[in-house]
Amino acid sequence: MARIENGRQSFDSRSMRTISSSHMDDESSVGSDSEINGFTSDRHTDKYGFIGGAQQYSEESAQDLPPEVLRQREVKWLDMLSNWDKWMAKRHSKVRLRCQKGIPPSLRGRAWLYLSGGKVKKEQNQGKFQELDSQAGDPKELDVIEKDLHRQFPFHEMFVSRGGHGQQDLFRVLKAYTVYRPEEGYCQAQAPIAAVLLMHMPAEDAFWGLVQICEKYLPGYYSAGLEAIQLDGEILFALMRRVSPLAYRHLEKHKMEPILYMTEWFMCAFSRTLPWASVLRVWDMFLCDGVKIIFRVGLVLLKCMLGTREKLKACQGQYETMALLRTIDPQYMTEGFLVREVLEVAVSERDIEREHHVQLKRWRKTHGELHHKCPPRMHGARAIMASEPHSRQDLRQNPTIVVPLLPPTPTFKLKEKKSKKKGSMKKSVIPNPYPLPGDPQPPLSEPSLSQLPLSQPPLYHPHLSQSPLSHPPLSHPPLSHPSLSHPLLNVPIDCSLPQQKALNDHVALNDHVSLNDHVALNDHVSLNDHVALNDQPVLNDQPVLNDQPALNDQPALNDQPALNDQPALNDQPALNDQPALNDQPALNDQPTLNDQLAVDVQCPLKVSPTQKSTQSLSSTEADQDTYL
Amino acid sequence: MSETYDFLFKFLVIGNAGTGKSCLLHQFIEKRFKDDSNHTIGVEFGSKIINVVNKYVKLQIWDTAGQERFRSVTRSYYRGAAGALLVYDITSRETYNALTNWLTDARMLASQNIVIILCGNKKDLDADREVTFLEASRFAQENELMFLETSALTGENVEEAFIQCARKILNKIESGELDPERMGSGIQYGDAALRQLRSPRRGQAESAQECGC
Repeated sequence: MARIENGRQSFDSRSMRTISSSHMDDESSVGSDSEINGFTSDRHTDKYGFIGGAQQYSEESAQDLPPEVLRQREVKWLDMLSNWDKWMAKRHSKVRLRCQKGIPPSLRGRAWLYLSGGKVKKEQNQGKFQELDSQAGDPKELDVIEKDLHRQFPFHEMFVSRGGHGQQDLFRVLKAYTVYRPEEGYCQAQAPIAAVLLMHMPAEDAFWGLVQICEKYLPGYYSAGLEAIQLDGEILFALMRRVSPLAYRHLEKHKMEPILYMTEWFMCAFSRTLPWASVLRVWDMFLCDGVKIIFRVGLVLLKCMLGTREKLKACQGQYETMALLRTIDPQYMTEGFLVREVLEVAVSERDIEREHHVQLKRWRKTHGELHHKCPPRMHGARAIMASEPHSRQDLRQNPTIVVPLLPPTPTFKLKEKKSKKKGSMKKSVIPNPYPLPGDPQPPLSEPSLSQLPLSQPPLYHPHLSQSPLSHPPLSHPPLSHPSLSHPLLNVPIDCSLPQQKALNDHVALNDHVSLNDHVALNDHVSLNDHVALNDQPVLNDQPVLNDQPALNDQPALNDQPALNDQPALNDQPALNDQPALNDQPALNDQPTLNDQLAVDVQCPLKVSPTQKSTQSLSSTEADQDTYL
Repeated sequence: MSETYDFLFKFLVIGNAGTGKSCLLHQFIEKRFKDDSNHTIGVEFGSKIINVVNKYVKLQIWDTAGQERFRSVTRSYYRGAAGALLVYDITSRETYNALTNWLTDARMLASQNIVIILCGNKKDLDADREVTFLEASRFAQENELMFLETSALTGENVEEAFIQCARKILNKIESGELDPERMGSGIQYGDAALRQLRSPRRGQAESAQECGC
């Protein structure tokens, strides 16, 4: 562990240097990190981590889900993720539907990695990222990358400070790609893609996600010559004819070559165009269904902006049309509207392939053979999965996901990187195929946990202490996880620095099962939840009194366990006798739940989670259950 | 359209990645340094009406992506540009060395008569200078470019660069060297100029156009 840390530190200091040198020659006068940080702290950060609501945050643009719905979805996603191959093989349409509804923020990073096939790639190439990471890279590429580091979502708390951990990770991911594919090199449009991924997952995962996007979803987009993007521009234009003939004719009349308006849209997968809530929803669908989603979003925006005669009257001319398409009316980009419209556009993979064929023929006539041969495009998660054979092991969640119902028990051997979620994976104890160097570490937290009152077991699951092992590239020294995993850790709530916030989020992560460090960055909900967490003692003392505000926070806080318990609870409100509750601090969520009954929608929940979970019940849980 | 102007010029801002093209544009339009901009993918825009030699000229400025591999895409923006800011970074010789390529592209794809002003940006970073004023001005002379060193940060010479370029185009129109009516000249008459044209006393532009023939 110490060794790893040292390695990391030495790397960090190096990259810090390079970053600051680019800072010198690029825009020296911008101001120091501290200035920037100071500027950060006095402005509100939205729930996605954008300072001052940059990236068009507004109440209208983002839907807020009731926590109980979110919890319910998390349970479903956890189940899917622990049985990913089955779900993809047999119930793919359900997976798709759930992607369309939006992946729960706490699991988004993990889900994206699974959808994209980055997970399999990563498992099959253990150590590859570390190897790439340790190489120097082509100085020419590095020079360009460094110039771009502070220009990716500069208002996101993760990337706001120069040389901060976000920019360092971005550098590592982009550099690793240029080492991985020296013939491709670095394309500036890869930076926002990598940055979006990094907001949801650690550097290694983000790297494999980037690889998948560049090579499977959007092959050729970032290659020299940019032929693929030009071709897709032509395809988009051709599809436009069907979707909105009026807009089509207008674009044609003003000789608007598609690459004039769609380059940034497509190359950045709309991450620099849409409000953030919509970006996430589009990416959820894109990573599930592939490029057709990008086409559809483009078509929707074009149709909405240029689809009526009145609108066209106002923009006679190429420049005017371009300007109009650069300032898309926010109402067309709200999460709800956009997703609905995108789902309605009748453009299928087949349509795109057919049009691709036509346009390729035309291209060959006018431009000759393509200079850059790129691999065929994969239309979404299923196609990728079919094209890249994987073993069950490759899909194993890693590190172990915190099981909702189970307070930690001896069955949770560190070495079984096994998700015990929801009984559906029965054959338990499979030894970790990739034992990690620091395995012996956990005792620190595990025994102590069991000694402690189990008031918040799921939150501070000992398995968190695995994370340094499974994420060697973690670049945040302050986040040394052992301390995080300590059950007594009092979550710092009032931190103003982004890094500290990130720390908070890391804790929150556990709570939400995913150990990906950055995941929670966008999941500020969970951050808030911790506030409620600290109220717990109060809850314990006065189970019945549970005050409402805490109540609201609770579902988020206690996440799955609460959720799973709920059906039973709701069925038997009488249940919540206090004596028993007080005996079992772990149960202290329950009064809350009962209090919530009137409001709670999650009750309709099928009973199955409870049933299923009983299969893998630990003793404590069994107690709970019988009790219930 | 409430805007009144005599001419409309299409302008380009070109040059290597990270030379400060978008910042120049932003400084020109907003009179502010934008220290937190995204890098440009595809194209950015801006437009502004300026007063040059008693004429109102609307500049429509297309700011392009600088990275080499975007060149094939950005070329489509070149068509019909009347003027261009060719930008390099005085603290990076590499960006200076690339000027010839940019120049070739601009002359070939925009129009033969495109008026180009060379801008050595980041003038404020004199301590890190890698390209001297002298060699750059020599290069400008050899290639018939105007030349200024600018700072998007302080704003020094930024407006000046756009105005000088516009003035040169106006001069060329007046001398008949440029014909605004020709397709792809990157010049259009504005409402004001059209009114002048229709009125009995014909505007300068019109006469200029006549002697040009």
